[in-house]
Amino acid sequence: MDDTIICRCEDVYLSEILGAIEEGGNSFPGIKKRVRVGMGYCQGRVCQPMVSNILLATCQRNTRPVLQRAQPPIRPVLLGDIIKK
Amino acid sequence: MRQKVIVIGGGLIGTSTAYYLAKYGVEVTLVEAKDIASGTSGACDRAIMLQSKNPGPTLELAIKSANIYEKLEDELEVDLEYRKSGGMIIIETLEEMQAMEHMVERQQKAGIDVKLISGEEARKWQPGLSNDIIGSTWWEGDAEVNPLNVSFAFANAARKLGAEIRLNSPVKRLITDNNRVIGVEVSGERIYADAVVVAMGVWTPMMLKPLGVEVPIIPRQGQILVSEKLPSFLQVGILSASYISNKLKKNHEDDKKDPFGVGLAIGQTHSGTLLIGGSRQFIGYDKTETNPEITRKIGEAAIRAFPCLKKVRMIRSFTGLRPYTPDGKPILSPVSGIDSLYIAAGHEGDGVALSPISGKIMAQVVCGEKPEMDIRSFSLSRF
Repeated sequence: MDDTIICRCEDVYLSEILGAIEEGGNSFPGIKKRVRVGMGYCQGRVCQPMVSNILLATCQRNTRPVLQRAQPPIRPVLLGDIIKK
Repeated sequence: MRQKVIVIGGGLIGTSTAYYLAKYGVEVTLVEAKDIASGTSGACDRAIMLQSKNPGPTLELAIKSANIYEKLEDELEVDLEYRKSGGMIIIETLEEMQAMEHMVERQQKAGIDVKLISGEEARKWQPGLSNDIIGSTWWEGDAEVNPLNVSFAFANAARKLGAEIRLNSPVKRLITDNNRVIGVEVSGERIYADAVVVAMGVWTPMMLKPLGVEVPIIPRQGQILVSEKLPSFLQVGILSASYISNKLKKNHEDDKKDPFGVGLAIGQTHSGTLLIGGSRQFIGYDKTETNPEITRKIGEAAIRAFPCLKKVRMIRSFTGLRPYTPDGKPILSPVSGIDSLYIAAGHEGDGVALSPISGKIMAQVVCGEKPEMDIRSFSLSRF
C-alpha cells in the first residue's frame, strides 16, 4: 500500500497532505486551503490530529503547528433550528 | 539588468500582481506574513458578479477582469472551478423593485445586458426559490470561481516563471532612501528592489503609516455560513436586493438602523456545500469570532429566499475582513511623494472578481507601460 487516507469526509490522501506541505503549507488551515482536508462534515475532528502529527514529523519543528479554529456550530445543525428564537 | 520588484501580500491581489510581473520578465519576490490566501482571500465567497458592481470605473475594471477569467484556467493550466453560471439579484419588496429597476437601467447603459424578470420566471431559472420573491434580475455573464484555487494558482504560476515566494515572512518595514522605497526588512534581513507593491488588503495602512502616508482602508467584517454537501441545487449565483443596498451604503451612520448589514449572497461550491452570506460590519481588526445573532439573521434571509433550506444542516461559520474604501473603489496606484512605491488594495468584496485585472494593471504600471485602463479613478490621491 503506497498511500493512506487521512481525511474521510473529503477523501484526502497522505500523499496530497505531503504535497501541500512541500508547497509551503505549514499549518492546518494552510494544508486545508490547499487540499480540502478538514473542510467536510466532521470539520477536522478526525483528521486534524493526524495532520498535526504529520506536520510535526515532516517540518522538524518544536512548536505545535497552528490548528483550525473551532467555529460554531459545534456539530451540524439544521438551519431551521438555528433561526428558532 | 532585469527590473527587481517586491510584492507584499499573498492574497488574490498580491499573487496576481506577482504572476503578471513575472510574466513581463520582472525578477519578483513575493513576501507574505503567513501563507497564501491566509487572510481575506481565504475567508470569502466565490462570486464573480458583474451586475452587482457600481456602473463606472469599477464595472469597467470588472468586465476586463471577467474576460481574463474566461481563459485563465487554460493560461495557468489549473482547475479554478470557474463556471459561467449566470447571476440573479432577487427582489422581495416593491421598494427593492424600484431600486433594482434603476440599477438595471444603469447597468444596461454601461453595456451589461441585465434583465428584470418576474418571480415566476425566476423560479423557473432557479427551482426552490420562494413564492414570496416578486421578481429578480438575471444576467448570463455572471460567473463563479474558487478564490483559494485562484490565489494558489497565481502563486505557483509566478514561481514557475522564476518568482521567489517567501511565506511566513512578515515585513517589518519598508526601507527608504531620499523619498524612494528601496526594499523591505523581513525577519532581520534586508531585501532590495527597484520597486515595492503593497497588496496587503486591510493591513495596508499599517505598512504605509510609518512613511507618513495615510491609506483610508477600513476593515469591514463579513460572516458566511457553510452547509453540508448537497446535490447540485443552485444553478446560479444569487444575491438579494438588500445585499446590494448594504453594499452601496457609504457611511457608518447607516449602521445604526441595521448594525449587521445582513443581505443574502448564496452560491454552491464544486464540492456541494453552500456558502451562505453575508454581513457587513465595521468592528475593527480584532473581533474575528462569528456572531450567533448574525448567523441567525443570515439563516432567516436564506430561508425567506429558499424555504427548503430549513432542512439543510450548517457545518461551519466563519468571518473575513474586507478592505473597505470610502468610495467603494480599489486603490491601484503609485504613492505620490515616494518613488517606487505602489498600492494594490482596498477591493472590499470585489477582490475575487477584480484579482486578475488588478494584478495585470499593476504589472503594467510598475513596468512603466501604459496600463490598459486609465487608473486615475483608482489613485490614492483621490482621497
